[in-house]
Amino acid sequence: MVGHDMSWASFHVLEVMASQKYHQKRVGYLGAVQSFRPDTDVLMMATNLLKKDLAASTPTIISLPIAALPHIITPSLSISLLGDLLPRLSHSQPAIRKKTVVTLYRLALVYPEALRAAWPKIKERLMDVNEDASVTAAIVNVVCELGWRRPHDFLPLAPRFFELLVDGGNNWMAIKLIKLFATLTPLEPRLVRKLLPPLTNLIRTTRAMSLLYECINGIIQGGILGEGEDFSAREEVASLCVSKLRGMVSLNSDPNLKYVALLAFNRIVVTHPFLVAQQEDVILECIDSEDITIRIKALDLVQGMVSSDNLVSIVSRLMRQLKASSAALNQQGNGAESHDLETDSSDETSAGSKRLFKTQDALPPLPDDYTTDVIGRILRMCSQNNYANLVDFDWYIDVLTQLVRIAPVPRTRDLDSDITAPTARVGVDISERIGNELRNVAVKVRAIRPVAVRAAELVISRLSSEISSSRPVVPGALKPIAYVVGEYAFELYSPDDALRHLLGLVSRIENPEVLATCLQAILKLFASVAGDDQTPWTPERKSALSLLMARVIHVLEPFASHPNLEVQERAVEFIELLKLTAEAAAGQLPSTDELQKDAPLLLTQAIPSLFTGWELNSVAAGTQHNVPIPEGLDLDEPIHPNLNNLLAQADSLMLPAQGDDEFEVYYNRKLPPTSISSGPAIERLADAPDEIPGSYQQVGEESYLDADIIARRKAERMERNRDDPFYIGGSTRSGGTSTPIHNILQKENGPDLDIDSIPIMQLDLEKLSVSSASAAPAATTAERRPKPRQQQQQRIIVAADETLSGVSSRPVTPRNYDSENNSDSFAKAKAARKLKQSLLQVDSSHLNNLSLLDTGDRPDDEQQRREEAEMAQAMREVQRLRLEMQRANERIQVAQGVPAEGIVVKKKKKTVKKAKGEEDNGEEGVGVKVKKKKKKVVAGEGEGEGSSQADAAPVVKAKKKKPKRIVQLDGDDAAAGQSQ
Amino acid sequence: MINAFLVFNGQGQPRLTKFYTQLDTSIQQRLISEIFTLVSNRPPGFCNFLPLPPLLAPPPSSNSSVQEQQDVPSLVTYRNYATLYFIVISTATESPLALIDLIQVYVEALDRLFENVCELDLIFNFETLHATLGEMVVGGVVIETNTERIVAGVKAQGTVAKRPVNEGRGAAGGGLGAGLGAGLGMGGNFVWHGR
Repeated sequence: MVGHDMSWASFHVLEVMASQKYHQKRVGYLGAVQSFRPDTDVLMMATNLLKKDLAASTPTIISLPIAALPHIITPSLSISLLGDLLPRLSHSQPAIRKKTVVTLYRLALVYPEALRAAWPKIKERLMDVNEDASVTAAIVNVVCELGWRRPHDFLPLAPRFFELLVDGGNNWMAIKLIKLFATLTPLEPRLVRKLLPPLTNLIRTTRAMSLLYECINGIIQGGILGEGEDFSAREEVASLCVSKLRGMVSLNSDPNLKYVALLAFNRIVVTHPFLVAQQEDVILECIDSEDITIRIKALDLVQGMVSSDNLVSIVSRLMRQLKASSAALNQQGNGAESHDLETDSSDETSAGSKRLFKTQDALPPLPDDYTTDVIGRILRMCSQNNYANLVDFDWYIDVLTQLVRIAPVPRTRDLDSDITAPTARVGVDISERIGNELRNVAVKVRAIRPVAVRAAELVISRLSSEISSSRPVVPGALKPIAYVVGEYAFELYSPDDALRHLLGLVSRIENPEVLATCLQAILKLFASVAGDDQTPWTPERKSALSLLMARVIHVLEPFASHPNLEVQERAVEFIELLKLTAEAAAGQLPSTDELQKDAPLLLTQAIPSLFTGWELNSVAAGTQHNVPIPEGLDLDEPIHPNLNNLLAQADSLMLPAQGDDEFEVYYNRKLPPTSISSGPAIERLADAPDEIPGSYQQVGEESYLDADIIARRKAERMERNRDDPFYIGGSTRSGGTSTPIHNILQKENGPDLDIDSIPIMQLDLEKLSVSSASAAPAATTAERRPKPRQQQQQRIIVAADETLSGVSSRPVTPRNYDSENNSDSFAKAKAARKLKQSLLQVDSSHLNNLSLLDTGDRPDDEQQRREEAEMAQAMREVQRLRLEMQRANERIQVAQGVPAEGIVVKKKKKTVKKAKGEEDNGEEGVGVKVKKKKKKVVAGEGEGEGSSQADAAPVVKAKKKKPKRIVQLDGDDAAAGQSQ
Repeated sequence: MINAFLVFNGQGQPRLTKFYTQLDTSIQQRLISEIFTLVSNRPPGFCNFLPLPPLLAPPPSSNSSVQEQQDVPSLVTYRNYATLYFIVISTATESPLALIDLIQVYVEALDRLFENVCELDLIFNFETLHATLGEMVVGGVVIETNTERIVAGVKAQGTVAKRPVNEGRGAAGGGLGAGLGAGLGMGGNFVWHGR
């Protein structure tokens, strides 16, 4: 009951509910409210009990089911109880009435038709000036709930609401009314002029802070601040509101006021950023508030008002906070700004002691969630609109390096969860996002690349020193940073050190994604360290390199059996490649004084050429989705009708081959050096750079093969694979494995489909951000918006190759895309569904479908009324005809007609009453007339007719049926009618 | 509208849970414990609004329309009186400051009913607790904010047991109640006097 399960007691609760004693009944209802759900099965048995209690005579008993119904209501229950509930709207006690109003609203949420029936009565209550104030307030509350769903239906009631707002004197109700008006004003602009005086008056006079706030809030939400004809008045209101809000935010006030004022500012900032920007000083104070709730609201706000002018100061403020909380060093002047590379390196020494201070720090450390949030916001603020607000990239990189240190260590995650939910992880690991930013800057801003690469180098060296000592978990930032270090190895200060650090780190990495990237980076670094063909091939160099290779192989070796395939594959490839190279190097005699020898070409040419394709540009998010699927390509169609068989065959072929002694012998036996350095192979290798596609993966896939084999196979396949859909991005003849897909495609599409000619670049431009949209379409680079100072030459490269998305190591194939897309939409749908069923949420969306609420002018109502009128008219015709007949009868049998008439009249009365309750008047008229007639039957016909006609006339007139009647009456009556 | 009204003490033990939509008991418990963790970490000087607990936080990727957001609970307001926390979870259609007042009204009404109310009163007279709330809020909609009327409404439903508790449980309840006697410290710790 208080958080404990009591579903087992449902039936007993029902029994107690049915008790005769009020006190027991009350307990029973309480139990029902707390424990019944709409799907509780005993609920069906409760229907009659509820009906009975609703009709009880004691108000306290009536209010029990009324109060309980909102908790247990179901559509079927609503249908059966609506009839019992409606009369309670006119109960003598206001307490019952107001509860009934709310219960009817809840009924309508599950059974919208209920509102249709109830609304006229509720409206009647609302319009009734003499109604109890609390009932009116309850109705206003309900209308406020309904209001935002169907504002149109409540517009006609605006005058009454306005009246209540002005004369109500109830602050609670006024708050709700203002909220209601805020939803109405967008529909009826004229309301604004009417509302402004009372609202400003309230703002100036009210003593209740809540009402004051809601007035301001209503003005904001109702769009009253918006531009319009009456400019000066609006200006006045705006300044009044903002000044009041400023007062709320300012330092010494109540934290609650601060919070709500920030909420209000958050709403204003969307439409009137300049108004909020004026209050920047006080808002920034809030960022430093002790209260994290207030801080977060202030951050929301700050994010909306950030510009290139205040970005640095805002971020510095946040950085200071983060630093203080991570209990770092003594406050450093301007936070991260002064935090340059030199101090960083000196910080390293104090890294260990830093952690010790953390616990002793005076300020309570910020919760990780908050820290993560703040870091995320910093990144977002800086990278907004493709770095539009950022002026000083050097500063930004310093901030990023600092952030990597501050970032909270993510909770240790097991590998499984990583594999199954990679997207969820991205959201969590803030460290990786920081790294991504660093990488983005390195990739996009060419001018700043050296700085960024140095920063990455620094981070890596720091990580390696830290990890060995204290931290067991490698932050996700390593992944993009390793990429930067590997990709731009030529910018490194000392590639040797970087390689050393990375080799040290690699064995401690758990996350396979990070690991895969690091392996790639290691080989890239190796290529840049070893692949220098200018340096002479001295004995020292030879031994140093063979040592290095031995070390790399040693580090990589354990990963050859890594459970993650990506890691395993890369490790195996690189190991084999390096082994080959090591052999080649061992076989190449060092140059002596008299004989100049070159380093083995495998070392200086082949390996570096693996990584010197085109420069990789960043691809706009979602670009991949724009690659059109070629006509006739059915992604759901099996690749090969008998694919499984083929695969099985391939397996059975491959497995013995892999385990074959031949291979082992081949690798383990020392090959004659000539096999590598022989002429033709070298020649081909020298050509290789032309053929290297912009992808590492494709090369990597084959790198376990001998270099000459690679070259030959490449040449062979070049022609065959030119229209392979998996390689649409590269315009060169890219190599690829021969797949069944390719053959199928060729068969299906015929020779005239040239996938290479798919206009990828044009599509790309649509999706690009603002800065690139203005760039020349032909170029993949876009000139950055002109920046002051030295930033002018900076270029941000935004567009690019399709098949590669940044550092992503997964080849994106159409197949992949398709499945991704499917799962995406599925997930979205699921999320949407989930949102709809969000916890605690009362789903009122049904009400949207209720097309016609209430108000008098609704079309259906009109129609109904017309039908009713027609019905009434028909009834009257029947009546009249009967009367005629009666009169005829009377004329004939004056003497004995009385008893017969009486019966007829009675009957008539009944039918009329049943058919139309409203027509009491008219009916009475008829009744009176008939009675009179009875009396006067003997006295004189003519007179009786006349007087009866006089009685009936008002009714008839109201119904506008005079002409028809005249036609149908006989002479006497017609004359009488006209005489009226 | 108001989605839930909770009362729990400083140890996180619920004294009153009223959810205006039905939830599974396990989820109720989780929600209460999540809110309690949030609430219990807040020093007295902080504002009375909580960030949404994880259970209620909207899925990050959701780009729902404004309309749907109006339906979703978006505001958690709390007040602390002596040993008790009063929490209101509500949608955007409620005014945050008014909710603070609403809790105040509720506590005032309880104080009037029990005469210097304390946690024990609430434990032994949870029916009155529910009845009082029932006079103020029905189905998530506020129907009454006037203390007089609320008290009158509750009293109309029957006598409110006062310390020392009447009848059977008089002995145990009375002793403890008199011993505690501290009350909820009404009037002393009002942070908020806006109404």
